[in-house]
Parts: sequence; structure tokens; C-alpha cells
Amino acid sequence: MRSERNSISTRCARWMIAGEWRAHPGRAIVAAIAIAIGVALGFAVHLINASALNEFARAVRTVNGDSDLQIHSVTPFGFDEALYPKLARLSGIAGASPAVELSAGTSEDDETRITLLGLDGLRAGFVTPNLIGRRVEIGAPESEDALDESSLFLSQAALDETRKNIGDTITLSAAGHEVAFTIVGTLPGVAEGQSIGAIDIAAAQWRFGQLGRLQRIDLKLAGGADAENIRANIIAVLPADAEIVSQESAARRSDSLSRAYRVNLDMLALMALLSGAFLVYSAQSLSVARRRSQFALLRVLGVQRRALLAQVLAEGAVVGGIGAGLGLVLGLALASAALSFLGGDLGGGYFEGTRPQLIFAPVAAAVFLVLGLLAALFGSLLPAREAARAQPAVVLKNEGDVIDPSAVPAVWTAPILLALGGGAALVPAVGDLPVFGYLSIALMLAGGVAAMPLLARLLLAPLQRFAFAAASIDLALKRLWGAPSQAAIALCGIVASTSLMVAMAVMIASFRISVDEWMVQVLPSDLYLHVEGDSSGGLDVELQKKLAAVPGIAMIDFRKNVPLRLSPDQPPIAVMARTVDFNDAAGGLPLIGQSLPVPEGAVPVWLSEPGQWLYGYRPGDFLELPIGRETAGETTRVFVAGIWRDYARQQGSIVIGNEDYTKASGDVLRTDAAVDLAPGARPRDVIDAMRAELPPLLAARLTVAEPQELRALAMQIFDRSFAVTYLLEAIAILVGLSGVAATFSAQTLARTKEFGMLRHVGVLRRQIVAMLAAEGALLGTIGVVAGLALGLAISQVLINVVNPQSFHWTMETRLPYGLFATVTIVLIAAAAGTALFAGRRALSGDAVRAVREDW
Amino acid sequence: MHGPIIPVAPLLSVSALKKAVPGGRVLFGDLDLTLKPGEFVAITGESGVGKSTLLNLIAGLDVADAGSIAIDGVALDSLSDDARTLLRRDRIGFVFQAFHILPHLTLAQNVALPLVLQRGSSSDAMARATQLLDSVGLAGRGPDYPKALSGGELQRVAIARALVHRPALILADEPTGNLDPETAARILDLFAKQVRVSGAAALLVTHSSVAAAVADRTMKLTREGLAEIHAV
Amino acid sequence: MRLVIGFVLSLLAGASLAADAQLPAYPEVRPGVALNFPADHGAHPDFRTEWWYITGLLDTADGKTLGFQVTFFRTRPQIDQRNPSAFVPKQILFAHAAISDVAVGHLLHDQRVAREGFGLAQASTADTDVVIDDWNLKRGADGNFRAHVAGKEFTLDLNFSPSQAIMLQGEGGYSRKGPLGSQASHYYSMPHLKVSGTVARGGKPAAVTGSAWLDREWSSSYLDPNAVGWDWVGLNLDDGSALMAFQIRKADGSALWAGGSFRSADGTTQRFAPEDVRFTTGRTWRSPRTNTDYPVERMLVVRLPTGEREFRLTPLFDDQELDSRGAGGPVYWEGAVRSPGGRGYLELTGYFKPLKL
Repeated sequence: MRSERNSISTRCARWMIAGEWRAHPGRAIVAAIAIAIGVALGFAVHLINASALNEFARAVRTVNGDSDLQIHSVTPFGFDEALYPKLARLSGIAGASPAVELSAGTSEDDETRITLLGLDGLRAGFVTPNLIGRRVEIGAPESEDALDESSLFLSQAALDETRKNIGDTITLSAAGHEVAFTIVGTLPGVAEGQSIGAIDIAAAQWRFGQLGRLQRIDLKLAGGADAENIRANIIAVLPADAEIVSQESAARRSDSLSRAYRVNLDMLALMALLSGAFLVYSAQSLSVARRRSQFALLRVLGVQRRALLAQVLAEGAVVGGIGAGLGLVLGLALASAALSFLGGDLGGGYFEGTRPQLIFAPVAAAVFLVLGLLAALFGSLLPAREAARAQPAVVLKNEGDVIDPSAVPAVWTAPILLALGGGAALVPAVGDLPVFGYLSIALMLAGGVAAMPLLARLLLAPLQRFAFAAASIDLALKRLWGAPSQAAIALCGIVASTSLMVAMAVMIASFRISVDEWMVQVLPSDLYLHVEGDSSGGLDVELQKKLAAVPGIAMIDFRKNVPLRLSPDQPPIAVMARTVDFNDAAGGLPLIGQSLPVPEGAVPVWLSEPGQWLYGYRPGDFLELPIGRETAGETTRVFVAGIWRDYARQQGSIVIGNEDYTKASGDVLRTDAAVDLAPGARPRDVIDAMRAELPPLLAARLTVAEPQELRALAMQIFDRSFAVTYLLEAIAILVGLSGVAATFSAQTLARTKEFGMLRHVGVLRRQIVAMLAAEGALLGTIGVVAGLALGLAISQVLINVVNPQSFHWTMETRLPYGLFATVTIVLIAAAAGTALFAGRRALSGDAVRAVREDW
Repeated sequence: MHGPIIPVAPLLSVSALKKAVPGGRVLFGDLDLTLKPGEFVAITGESGVGKSTLLNLIAGLDVADAGSIAIDGVALDSLSDDARTLLRRDRIGFVFQAFHILPHLTLAQNVALPLVLQRGSSSDAMARATQLLDSVGLAGRGPDYPKALSGGELQRVAIARALVHRPALILADEPTGNLDPETAARILDLFAKQVRVSGAAALLVTHSSVAAAVADRTMKLTREGLAEIHAV
Repeated sequence: MRLVIGFVLSLLAGASLAADAQLPAYPEVRPGVALNFPADHGAHPDFRTEWWYITGLLDTADGKTLGFQVTFFRTRPQIDQRNPSAFVPKQILFAHAAISDVAVGHLLHDQRVAREGFGLAQASTADTDVVIDDWNLKRGADGNFRAHVAGKEFTLDLNFSPSQAIMLQGEGGYSRKGPLGSQASHYYSMPHLKVSGTVARGGKPAAVTGSAWLDREWSSSYLDPNAVGWDWVGLNLDDGSALMAFQIRKADGSALWAGGSFRSADGTTQRFAPEDVRFTTGRTWRSPRTNTDYPVERMLVVRLPTGEREFRLTPLFDDQELDSRGAGGPVYWEGAVRSPGGRGYLELTGYFKPLKL
């Protein structure tokens, strides 16, 4: 009996849902699309990141050659080869394969670079067999020549990129040396897409100036050996300029750099999903409002409250399910498109040079499907409760609109939420992620939305005292003031999207302006030279003298950037050698605060802001820099004299004086230079003269830029890395606005009878339209005002919490007033427009009949 | 209230009115009706014969297929939609079966709505609305919102609103249709009394014979046309 | 005359060296150079190749017989001698070990290879002292050789005690390998080495005794271009005499060159001219893995002053083929053999495909 009743009400619900969608398919479709967009964005971002990370991990694995453990030098200069026999003799180590690892350029005009490994084939064959070359003979008898110093094995990707064939000769440039090799074979064990070359280790040491140095030693552990014990034994003999790297630490290192960026993208995608939930809410509110009497009738006919609730939720679930499913497909397509157009880091610049294969993630797909469903259910919950709560008798008597203007909106929820949000912003990062920063933003958003009814009242209260000549405006005002909760529903979309957009805009504008100003500060010279190539090569003393003597050069400062691995879990920090002028703050460095007086005999360095965050050093601290090139494993004790602002290197950087660097490292080569021109000198002439001084291959790799070009390039990169952010933001705004439109539609539909009555009592059609437009504009104004305020607050969380915690740099807040004005005007106009549009549709119905109809 | 007897021009004159519903069924083909100022006429008839349609035509909210309607000698079909709206605003009051009181306005604001539309002084409008609320038995309730009001109370507000701007003609469409019989009788009495006090003419559409009892004239709308029913 | 693993030899091939490369100057093997001990037990790094090659048969406590080989090679590749890198492969060391056990039915073997340097791989010039990682072969002050090799499937710790004088091959240690005078090696053997020590399998060391044969050879030029492989045999005979014989084969299977010697228990030595040695085939065995036919049962006829003497060679078991292609080496047969009144080792190369040296 009971089950029969249930099945009847289920069937009833099915009829109702089907009928509703047949009558108004557009709304369900729009809601499903909104969910699909949210799911697609989230899923795509996840897939792209997963693919990029996977690719990165694969690259790391390939270069590491599947060794159990790896010893790696902390600088490109390597460590003393004496470490090799020490490690080889440690008990528990079955094999040790020494390697020279260089980044090599493969031709004079091309920027193609490969990882060049100098290996002892006899050792690598046991420890890292996948790095062993296979000789491909061309008309010669078979031979296994691996020792020949001019033989080069290239991976397939390297062959493809250099457009070379087996048997060809190729000139490789690395560490300031150029050497010709014959390509004698391939590296079949190297994963697809990895550009790797292998030569003999002795040739690598001799030809590329690496005598006595190794960049790494790959280790194979004996079966059943105690890894922890071995690790301890290794550390006991490890010099300061070498570190232990495992697959995990390499993965952490690559992960740590891009994680914050990825999480930020994920958050934006979740916001899109939230907007989707809001749209479902709007669409469902609309459909519930329209079916209010239908539901009342069903209640009268004996359908239970629960069943109505279930019906509306089921509608949401179907919409969500279809949307989420669609979103997964869309996300997959989006991810694959983005991977081919933007690369694995979505333009963020974190995974240069990798072209990841898209990998499908079933678990993530399931998660996003559920998220989409939940968003839709969440969006349906309030309308469902409303549908179920309706008093059938009242509704049927057409008094369903239970607006009570005398009720005072809740006063406490919003301040409590806002206060909690403010408090969460003060909590430090969790696992290097601004978890509480995001929570703070969410709480502030919720608080802002919750504050809307009260805020609308407060803002409209002064206007209530005036009697407006135009009845339409008067009516609009009274309506908004009298029905604040109704206004709030429409408002929360505007407020949420406006505040998010304003927050992002303020953050990006602040960042952009800060970066631009910073560029002016750090690029005071007329020309900047850079020798393409790896950091272990560059211009030698002879060439530096020649360049300095070029006519038209007033001053030239040679510089060098060297990556230094200070921690196995962090990407290498950049050691930047340059002239530091003590008379001029810190030689043109944009310092944060003052530079400390340097103690007698100490070597001063200036740590960048991210470096300070990542490694925890403060001004006045001493630290050991393992940058000795010749002196095996020796470190240089340096004094942190100050912190400087650096937006270019998220992994951190250390500025050290040119002489101090040379003394500490023994490295006299320089890869960069800043040039001040003599008065009247033409940059073009000077550049040509400088090129003429260099050997042809080096000259071809020399790039010269003027500061404005560099700034333009930097800004271009900046904008590209925020391109996805802009896109997601635009989508959030669009979804928000369409939510506003849907809410307006719902409300105007519910107010058809009001319009009918007004028409009867002599209100002109255009007055009603004007009233609606006024309502929209007023709402828009309130929304924008609130959104601006909330957005400014959230922007402070972004600028002062999320950014420092994720990227470890700070910036000054800059307000894009022009954008604010545009946003204000556009949003108010859009709100008025949507209200108008929704109203016209409602008015186009038969106003006369509306008054007559009981439902 | 006996003024000098002078020939009175009809307030409302309907002649040879024809209206068919979409689909072709003719509601009435040749309908004539004249209302003198201050005259209270009730029109009864079965559901679906076109009573409400007739009211809408008179209010200028619907357009006839043939015939003419003139209010104060002005033919409605010579007026634009806006002009008809303004005519309604100034000269006509409405009472609906479903009350149609705006929930977001106070009772006084609801009543003052027609005056606000006429752009009168706001304080005058509120004073007049308060006065009208007094007269329908809702003294002191002006600042209240409609939420807690019963159907009868809501219809009192509606009656006040219909009269607030001193219209010449009041159109009432089943004003007691949503009320219980007891309340209906009281509201009807109130309505008739207030209309007479205001001096406006009234056209009351109802299928209730009780309603007819308060009218000067009662007419019955059938397919054949409008026919006077003489009081027994 | 011993097989130098093809992998190592191929390193010598040298492909595209720089035009100005300074290549090693290999000294030529000449007659009339007196061998000088213990220095000649040590390495001769100037020569192109060199080896310490021990083979023999072991008797276990439970009466089983095992064949074994422990071999260390040195080679000097054609590498630019100017390269100052400590990794430059001026010398490559290679070691190989195998045991033949009837119960297993095939060879167990393992190897080590490394470029000389860093103390991890080296060969002393003063006396026998060759090290590659954890493998080594050393001659002690007592004149005994000690070998330690630890493979995946077995570990050998063996002591070799000389019981007879050194047996110089050829003309006082100058052993010709072909028609040209330069196709020769410095060559001496130490037959009838008394073996003691342990063979560990599955982590369980078992004491063994036995007799072994050490071959020492160094050279710069070896095989004639027409040679495709060779057959070699060394026998410790029960009466204390020792026999070594080899033939170098052409593609048609005929002998390009042959040689060897017989030393009787009293120490008188008979050196064989090419025509004094004749190998014939008794039975061939086909390897199921490589489909190569090996003449595993042989009849060796040598001409002694007392007339021709016949040695029938019977393998301990047939499948003593060694496929070292996985480590870059050749496919060959190297096995323990018995002969009436003696036992030793037979080596058959160039049957799978021609060897180059």
C-alpha cells in the first residue's frame, strides 16, 4: 500500500519534471551548461596539471636513468670526482655510475638544447641501463664502440629537434666550449619526448672543461641493503657542493615550484563551479516560483512535503549529472586544447620545454562529477525547501508572496562571517599553501552575501525619505526596500562576481604595476647582454676586456647567474653575481628596508624576498654558500646584508658582488652584462661593434636587449601567465550575470499579477518598464558598491596573504580606478538591462488575464 | 443629496458592442449599456459569458471587435493605450476578486498608490489614504504591512484604494469571490456604502444574487445580451 | 692462446678519432725477449691486450667434479693519449668467471668490467695484482695466487699453489699465432696448480681441491685477417706432464696456424710446429639456444719425438656454451674436458660467427 503510494508520487514527480522541462527546456539547459563549465574548468585544470607533472616526473626519471639514488652537485660546476671512488666503495652500494651532466646547445642559430650526459658506459650499463646508447651502423661492421670520444648518442627526440640523422656531425656547445661529435647511435631506453645526448665521460670532462668535476653519481643499491643506513654513510662522505637526490625529492622539487600556481587555478575553477551552483539556484528558484501553485495543488492532492523536496532535488541532480558529464567531456577537450596551445603550465612558465601527453584521471573525473552533482544539489536545496514549505491553502488563494517588509534582516550572521574571514587571513600557510587565505576569502564572500539584505536596507533607507516625482522610481525604491531578501537573491550574484573580479583586478593591477616599477628599478642601464647557453659557460676574461673596450660604452658590468641547489626539496636558487655599488643603496637593487652595515671581512649578499621565505634567512644572518668551483666541497660563508624585491625568480635568488663571487667560486666566466652608453653613442652601433668582437658562434648566441624591450617582454609574459586567470574571471562574471538575469526573471514572473494590477490602476506600460529598470539599476548600484568594498577587502587578502604565502613576494596595493569606473557602469547597465529584459518578457504576457487568474 | 434636476449626460455609454473570444465564439454581439453618474449597476451571469471581458473592455484594457464605449463622452477607441491608461488613472477605480495588495508597501502606501501616480503631494496623498482607511474600518492600520491581514481586511484596503483618487467610475470584478459568505456580505455592504458616499458610479460584476441586492439596477448577461432584471 | 672477450676487443676498433689525436704506440712482440719474474706476472700496460686465464677442475667433499674458469683481461684501447681526464679509458679491465656443474647442466657465469682508475680497477706492473671492484687476483709473497670472484649465483675463493716450474710457450715465451712474425704473443703457462679453497653457491661455501692451469699472454697484434676462430686445449696429465695445443682456423675450417707444447714430468719440453698438431672431430653438439654446432668431442693428435700421440677429449657435459652477447661479448664454447690419463679445458671459438681480433 505504502509502496504503491510512493510509486504514484514518484510517477507524479516524473510527470511534473518531464512536463516542466518540455515547457521550459532552455532553463534546464542553461543550468546544466553552467555546471558543465564549472566542472570542465576544474577538470581541465586538474588534467593539465596532472599531465604536466607526470611529464615532468618522467623527464626527471629519464635523465636520472632509473638509478636507485643519485648524488647531484648543487651548482652546475659539479663536485670533485674524488667522491666517486668513496661512494663506489661504500658497503651496500652495488654500483656507482659517475656522470658529467651539462646543458648543451645544439646549433648556432637554434635555441634547441639537450641534456648532455658524459657517462662511463661500463658503469652506466649496470646502474642506469636505459642511458646506454645503441650504435646504429651505416655500412660499417658491427662494433660496440662506446669509448670513442667523438661519438655521440642522441635520443629520438633530440634527433628530431636537431633535425639530424645517424652519421651526421653536430657541434654541441656547453660550459663555454664547442665540440663537434659524430652521431653514432640512439638512446632507445630514453622515454619519448626527452632530448638527451650521451658521450663518453672522459671526453666530456676534457672537451667541456670539466676535468676533475662530476655533476652527478648514479647509485644502485645492493639487494636487501638498508637504505637509511646507506644514506647516512653517504652523507658522512658527501661534500657541501653535492646532495642526495631521490625520485621523491626530485618530484617534490618540481612540484613545489608550480604547486601554488596550480592551487590558485584550481580555486578559480572551483569558483566557476560555485557560480554554476548559483545559476542552478537561480534557475530552480525561477522554476519553483512559476510552479508554486502547481506544487500547492500537488500538496492538496496528497503529495507529501518530502516528495516535493525530493522532486526539486531530483531535478537538480539530473541537471547536475548531465552538466557534470558534459563538463568532463568538455574538460578533456579543453585540457587537450590547452596543452597544445598553452603548454602544461597554462602559460605560467613552470614547465618550460615539456610537451606533456594528456593523461586521463579516472579518480579526478569521478571527483569532479560528484562536485558537479553536489553543486547542482546545493543550488536546488533552497528552492526545494521553499517549494516544500509553501502553505497550499495560502498559495492557492494567491497570496503566496509572503513578503514581510517589517521583518528586520538578520544582523549578526554577516559580521560574524566577515570577522571569521578576517581572522582566517591571519593564519600562516599550511604546507606552503595559503589554505586559510582561501578560507578567509570564502568566509568574506559568504559574509558579504549574507550582509546584502541589511546593506540594501541601509543604503536605501535615506532614499526612502524622498518622494520621487517619477512614480516608477518611487515604486522601485519601495519594492527594494520592502523586499530585501528578494533583492538579496539577485544581489548575491552581482556581489559575489563583482567582488571576486575586483579582488583579482586589484591584485593583478597591483602586481602588474609593482612589476613594471620594479623593472624600471632593476634595469637602469641602456643595454643588456645575455649569452644564450648554460650557466657554467660564458664570456671569459679576454672577451670581457674586448667588450669593455668597444667605443661608445661608458660602463659595462659583467654578470653571471648560476643555479644553486640549496635544498633537495627546492628548485635551485639563483646566485647572481654583479657589481654592487655601496654608494647607491645596493647597486640599483630594489631593497625592502635598509641594507645592514657589513661586518669587517664578511662577504655581503642580498637575498631576494622569495629566497627569504623559502630558506628562512633574515638580514644579519650568516649562511654557507657551496659555490666553490675548484676547491672541493668548500663553502663560502656569506652575510645576508639585506632583502631585495625580485619578481623574476620565484625559486629565490642571492645577489653577490662580482669580485666576491669570483673569489668564492673561481668562476671568471660571465653570461650577462649591463651596459651604460657614452653620451651620443647609438645602441645599434655599439651592439654591432660588440658582436664583431666575439667569435662567430658566441656572437650568434648573444642577445642584446634594451630595457624597454625587456619590460615589454616581461609584461607580455606576465599577461600570458594571467591569461587563464582573466578567462576564468570573465566566465565567473558571465555566469554571475546570467544568474542575475535568471533571478530577475523568476521574480518578475512571480510579480506578473502585481504588474497587472498596476496596469489596471493606471500605471503606464513604460512606467513599469522604467520601474524594473530602476530596480535593476538600484540593485546593480548596491551590488557594485558592496562588491567593490568586499572586493577591496578580498584583494587585501590576495595581496597580503595568498600571494606572499604562495609565491613568496609582496607588492604595494594599486587601485585600477579606470577599471572600477568601467565595472561600475557596465554592471549597473547590465543589471538594469537584464531587469528590463526579464520585465519585458513578463509584461508581454497578458497583464489583464494575470489579474483575473487564480493561478 | 438632491441637486437641481438637470439632464445628465451618461458617464458610461456602451453601444452595439461585439466581442468574440479567440477561436471565434461570440461572447456578445450587440451589447448596449448606459451608466449615469452615481449609478450603481450590478451585472450577473453564469461563468464564461464574458462579464469580466466586458469590464476589461470598459477599462480600456481590451479591445472590442465592434461597437463603441465612451466614458464622459470620450470614445475609448479614439484614445491611444497611454491615453486610456491615463483615463483609468484619473477616472476609474478597481476592486479585484484577488485583492492585489502589494506586499512590500504599507496599507497606506497601497491605498495612496493611485494618488502617487497622479503626482499629487505626498503628504496630502498619505492623509487622504489614512482617511480612506479610517472609513473602511482600518483606522490606525496605515503603517502596517499586508502580510498578516485577512482576506476581508485586504479587500477593505482594496476598496479604499479604488476610491482614494475620487474616480467617477468604479469597476469591481467579483470583489467577494474569494471571501466567506459572512465576510462577503459585510464587504459588499461596505463597498456599496462607500461608493455611494463617494458619489461615483459603479459597475459590479458578480454571480452572487446577494450582490445584486445592493445595486440600483441589476442586469443579467447571457448569450442573448444584457437584460434588466427587475427587483422583486 | 685464450679468447679475449670480443666486447673488449671491439673497443680497440676505434672509429672517428680526431685528426690530431695522439694514439697509443703499441710495442711489437719480438723473439728473444727474456721474461723476468715477478715483474712479468704483473701487467704490461703498453701492449694492446693481456690476460690472466685460470681454468681447472675441482673436486668437492662429496665427490663431485666441477669445472671452473677465472679470467682477468687487460686491454689498451685506441684512445687519444692527450686526454688528461682521470676517466680516460687508457686501460680497460675485464674479468670473467664460470663454473661447470653436471648437475646444473649449463654454465653459471658472471663478469666485471671497468676502466682503470680511482683504485677501483687496476693492474699492477710489479706482480700479479689485478682488481676490478670486488673481484681480484693476487700473487702473494709465497708465490701462490689467490682469486676472489663473487657472482650472482656463486662465489669463488680459491688459492692456487704452483707445483711445477713456469712453462714458457713458443721460443722462450715468444709464441707465434700466424704466418707473419709480428702475429705473436708473449706467452707462459703454469700447469698443475694445486687448488684449495671454497665454492659458495646459495650462500653456502663448500671446500674444494683440484688442479688448475694458468695462462699468461700479452700481445699487440694477434689474429691473421683470414682467421675466423680457434680451438685451444690445455691438459694436466696425471703423470705430471702437461699439454697445450691450439689451431687457428680459416673460414673453410682448415688450420691457418697451429702450435703448442708438451712438457713431460721430468721437465723436458717439446714445442710443436704448425704441422705437429692435428684436431679431428669425434662428435658435434648443437646448441638449442644458438643452433651452433660445436665439435665437443675431439681427437687431438700431436707429433712427439716418440711418435704421434693421440688424446681423446670428452666434455664433462655437452652444454658448456657461453653466450655473453648480453654483456657485449661473443658466443663460444669453453668447457672442462677429460682425456684418458688427464683432464683440462677446451675452448672452441668462431663457430657461431667469425671472430675478429
